Amino acid sequence: MFLQQLLNGLTAGAVYALIALGYTMIYGILGLINFAQGEIYMCGAFVTVLLLGTGQVNFFVAFAAGMAAAALLGVALERVAFRPLRGFHPLVPLISAIGASIFLQSLALLLFGPNDRPFPIQFNFSTITIAGLPLSSLQGAILAAALGFMALLVVFVRYTRYGKAIVACALDRDTARLMGVNVDRMVALTFFIGSALSGAAGIMMAIYYNATYPRMGLLPGLKAFSAAILGGVGSIPGAILGGLLLGVAESLGAAYVSSGYKDAIAFAILILVLLFRPQGILKGRGD
Amino acid sequence: MSAYFLHLAILGGIYIILAVSLNLIVGYAGQVSLGHAAFYGIGAYASALTALLWQFPFPLAALSAVLVSGGCGLALGLPTLRLKEDYLAIVTLGFGVIVDMVFLNLELTGGPDGLPGIPPPRILGMSFRPPVLYLLLTLLAVVLTLTLTHRLVHSYHGRALRAIRDHEVTAKVMGINTPAYKVAIFTLAAALAGLAGSLYAHYITFINPESFGLHTSILALCMVVLGGMGSLPGAVVGALALTVLPEMLRQFKAYQDLIYGGLLVALLIWRPEGLLGRGKLSLKFLQRQ
Repeated sequence: MFLQQLLNGLTAGAVYALIALGYTMIYGILGLINFAQGEIYMCGAFVTVLLLGTGQVNFFVAFAAGMAAAALLGVALERVAFRPLRGFHPLVPLISAIGASIFLQSLALLLFGPNDRPFPIQFNFSTITIAGLPLSSLQGAILAAALGFMALLVVFVRYTRYGKAIVACALDRDTARLMGVNVDRMVALTFFIGSALSGAAGIMMAIYYNATYPRMGLLPGLKAFSAAILGGVGSIPGAILGGLLLGVAESLGAAYVSSGYKDAIAFAILILVLLFRPQGILKGRGD
Repeated sequence: MSAYFLHLAILGGIYIILAVSLNLIVGYAGQVSLGHAAFYGIGAYASALTALLWQFPFPLAALSAVLVSGGCGLALGLPTLRLKEDYLAIVTLGFGVIVDMVFLNLELTGGPDGLPGIPPPRILGMSFRPPVLYLLLTLLAVVLTLTLTHRLVHSYHGRALRAIRDHEVTAKVMGINTPAYKVAIFTLAAALAGLAGSLYAHYITFINPESFGLHTSILALCMVVLGGMGSLPGAVVGALALTVLPEMLRQFKAYQDLIYGGLLVALLIWRPEGLLGRGKLSLKFLQRQ
């Protein structure tokens, strides 16, 4: 029972971590909380589900298309709703992001209707028992894919020119510009990568819960933000750790405390972290 | 006056109180609250419960709504207002979600079914059930709220708040106790939202968690931004516009949220001072730093 809950928590947590990475990268480079991250997650899921619904597209192609659509939406959002407001009081882009989030959510509601859509293809997932612990191969696949994406991201940021340029912009935008880094392009790239990861998270959750609907991004988006803060906002390992911890805490809390308050646990943790260790577990850039 | 007009006028009055109180936090203190509907809801439930369980007369029920909401505002504000404004937005948003879940899960608040049968106000033996009288009562509360906030923002304390909003460090150097001011204004705004909630509960006579969720918090924020952050007449106009417009655009009801969201972004890009923003004086904080 305990191990089962732990595993459920890790699966949800891995997905939170993927979204949290988007938050943390964007916060790191712009100091902006992208409230519309949850809607980007929803967009990825919808594109994949709709493509698969046509019955003519291979699963992996649809998955990639979902990620690409989410990434493009993120870049477009940055261009339309955030770039004109760069340099204003932080309140201004924050409210703009909230506006964008409501806009996208209600647009999806108009286009796709409020009902849950099941995932169009069935997977033949089996349950393997390892040491008395039933491990569904779906959970295993989600965990593996999420961890794979995270590893790719870490390699990209640490070892490629573009990754290093993003880090430079996050550390000091003006100095990075003096060193010849095209800051606007790096910001766009950050949105591209962060949104692609959120899109992937959305697709995985659409498979896991077998439901895709316009408001699906709301709670995971908020929880992932809590995860980013828990780990230390601006820190990539922090976002991963925060996401996993939050997923586990939520799953155990729902099992042993009260399932009615499951969604409140993340926010209770968030408020406690902000009160006692606002810089997060791994020290991020927050203060 | 038709019954429908009266209904809109009463709701408009309630929303004015809500928007003006949120404007104190957003427009004057420069902090973002995304959980303002939680205080509105706490006020509504406190008022309804005291009236239902202990038969409190309306003035006493409204007073307890103000005190309970204000108390919750103080309890949330004390530890969190030292956070930067974008963190505060998330904390208040989380607070809103938690309060919503408490309403949904507690037996006391009736869970998702809410509380029916809240008695309409009765003051000195006079029932305020007829909408005309209720409108008068609402207007009285609106005038009280506006007088209080007008006097506040044009006083020494109001100037101190604006100084905090425009540049917190400078304000501190000038000897302004910034945390105390922020907590005080947050508490006052929560208390006023509680008053609005109480008026709402005794008017509709039925409340459930649906009316006090994230949607309402965002609606209140839209009212403030539309009218102009940091402008009292702006908050009034914003509240009235967003009460009346949805009614006029009934056939576009499905597009309502789409319009709100688009409106927020478009306003911030093209007219960040809102419809009735006060020009340069109070808008320094919206300009590039």
